[in-house]
Amino acid sequence: MDITRRGVLRAGGALAAGAGLSGLTACSGSGAAGDSGSGAAGSATKGEITVWSWAGPAAEMKALVPAFNAQYPDIKVTVQDIGNPAIWDKITTALAAGGSGLADVLHIGVDYLPGYVEKFPNGLADLSKLGANQYKDAFAQGMWATVAPKGGRVNALPWEANSAGFYYRADVFEQAGVDVKALDTWDDTVEAGKVIKAKTGKYLLGIDKPASQPDAANFFQMLLQLQGAFYFDLDGGITLDSPQAVRAMTLIKQLNDAGLVSDLSGGWNALISSIKAGTNAVVPWPTWFGGIIEETVPQEKGKWGVRLPPTVRRGGSNAATVNSTHLAIAGSSKQQAAAWKFVEFVLTRPENQVKIYKEKGIAPALIKAYEDPVFHAPSEFFSGQKKGEIFLNALEAPSPAYNYSADYARALKVVTDAQTKVLLKGADPAEVLKAAADQLGQQTGRKVVR
Amino acid sequence: MSTATTRRPAPARRAAPRPGPPRLTGRRLAPYLFVLPALALFAAFKLYPIAWSFVLSLHKTIDGTDTFVGADNYTRLLDDPLFWTALKNTAVILLVQVPVMLALATGLAVAFNSAVLRARAVFRLGFFLPMVTGLVAYGVIFSVLLNEKYGLVNWLLQSVGLDAVPWLTDPLWARISLGLALTWHYTGYNAVILLARLQSIPRELYDAASVDGAGAVGAFRHVTLPGLRPALLLTTVLSTIGTLQIFDEPFILTHGGPDNATLTIGVYLYQNAFTFFDFGYASAIAYALAVLIGILGLVQFKVLGDKS
Repeated sequence: MDITRRGVLRAGGALAAGAGLSGLTACSGSGAAGDSGSGAAGSATKGEITVWSWAGPAAEMKALVPAFNAQYPDIKVTVQDIGNPAIWDKITTALAAGGSGLADVLHIGVDYLPGYVEKFPNGLADLSKLGANQYKDAFAQGMWATVAPKGGRVNALPWEANSAGFYYRADVFEQAGVDVKALDTWDDTVEAGKVIKAKTGKYLLGIDKPASQPDAANFFQMLLQLQGAFYFDLDGGITLDSPQAVRAMTLIKQLNDAGLVSDLSGGWNALISSIKAGTNAVVPWPTWFGGIIEETVPQEKGKWGVRLPPTVRRGGSNAATVNSTHLAIAGSSKQQAAAWKFVEFVLTRPENQVKIYKEKGIAPALIKAYEDPVFHAPSEFFSGQKKGEIFLNALEAPSPAYNYSADYARALKVVTDAQTKVLLKGADPAEVLKAAADQLGQQTGRKVVR
Repeated sequence: MSTATTRRPAPARRAAPRPGPPRLTGRRLAPYLFVLPALALFAAFKLYPIAWSFVLSLHKTIDGTDTFVGADNYTRLLDDPLFWTALKNTAVILLVQVPVMLALATGLAVAFNSAVLRARAVFRLGFFLPMVTGLVAYGVIFSVLLNEKYGLVNWLLQSVGLDAVPWLTDPLWARISLGLALTWHYTGYNAVILLARLQSIPRELYDAASVDGAGAVGAFRHVTLPGLRPALLLTTVLSTIGTLQIFDEPFILTHGGPDNATLTIGVYLYQNAFTFFDFGYASAIAYALAVLIGILGLVQFKVLGDKS
């Protein structure tokens, strides 16, 4: 084959056009973010700091700024609502760019924290150097292990600790003649769901079947955590196809095969629409979601109830801390000391956490906050139940530590794919989970524990 | 004008061999100075990232430090089922959607060029407009239109007594939706390129064909198509490059789902970089893609290009 000069030039042009895409990853930098992590930069009493968060929490932090300024008048705080999930991409790119353009204070979910810490070791400041250790015992159990997994270094301070919840339409259960309190296990709940479907036409619950958002695996993950299990064991081995995981996925298949699962494809918007339309009898979401329900359908006051979820196996646990969020300080921040003052102000003063709970229903990890009467008062919206106490009980119950690991995002991807296969194609739970575990092993080099 | 005199050729007798290269001063230097900013920007924002991406593709983050792993990321590609799924999905779009779109674009171009069509400018504008719509905006609009429960399309289908179609939630339909969105977006653009070429085909060739007894089909086959060849080559190569890099539409419409039915190489690359933080592997995917595009481009030039 004779290749002319023109041909080579053309091919070169096409190659360059292709390589243009590779520029996408090129902004990733070296992975060695920031220079410090020293945790002592800047003045503790003056400066300008920026905070990144999303929606409700951002609004709440913004509302706390005047009170903060009463104490620290020379620290100017700008809270930005980056949006969720946009915030994760934004933090990732900024960390990869050596911390340039990163805010001083970052609101980070438990699903992203280990990944950031592992991939960008100096990306977040070590808060132990700013005095974080004095709050070690102030938070709900298990939370300190999450923010300081190896002891010593503290990557963030806990904010909200969410327990698995079971919000239900009390009126629908009543109409169907099902006693919601009598549901001990999820097997009982499947049977109750059949009655509810027959008598009221409502689905038991909804799942984003084609997994249009990573949130699609929330229910599966909750069933797993109620059994004290997770995607990884504490040593980082893959436990995706453990008997507990197969049990959880089988339960989802049973619910789906019985026609009790509505499709929430489209993620968040579909979920909110389904609540407005009253499609499902149960919303199996954690603590913070109660506030969302109240905001979404305020006219349904008194028609809703809340309890902890049924157990997966008879006699098992119905308490699990399913997720948490935290405030961290960027390693590249020049105002770490001032940023710490703000983090400390928001997260360790009970009155501030109580205010946030009252307004947005965001459950504090700060145990002292629960002394406030608001957590022990009956909720008008939830049929006079003491919602705060219900979740406080769960938070105080023994809860094992879960290892999210740096590969949580990959695990979530294979899990949601597996769940979609089960829900849309009727695949066998044990088989898809085994394949998912093997694939995760291939991708991460982690050992599959069987 | 004084410049007119400076361009006078030097007398032949003075054209003795000059020692050394010409000096870059004054007029000679000016053009280089003018292109310098563009070159500097190109180097900083294109060349450097492309080169750095290659360096990254040879590294892996282990315990927080970038470690040189040689070709590991590339060999890992070979064993990665998701990469092959993404490649297969992209190939399906390339083999199904691109030919359909180009056939459609050719038909449109011929129609746009026809004297029979009234208000041609309005049609040309109408079909080209999708091209200037923001990618994200149209992705969002399509996802709203195609929503299974609340979308306009299903509402219309159901109002005439048909069943709702799981546009974005069923693997096959998700692929079809993606193809529809791409066709809507790019057909007009290709039609305009083809139209430009169509207008350069000499009228006489059609007259000659008609004298030789060719009908409309014959004229299309023997005059229009050969005349369109360079433009068809251009649109094919551009569409191939565009399709191989496709990202926005599947990312917004389906996130690559359901069950990876619409996972393209672009989306998989993005997931690896920004969801899994695996920049080395993402860079390797980018380079594999670049090589693939280069090879396909070369093949297309060989097959479709002029034989001169």
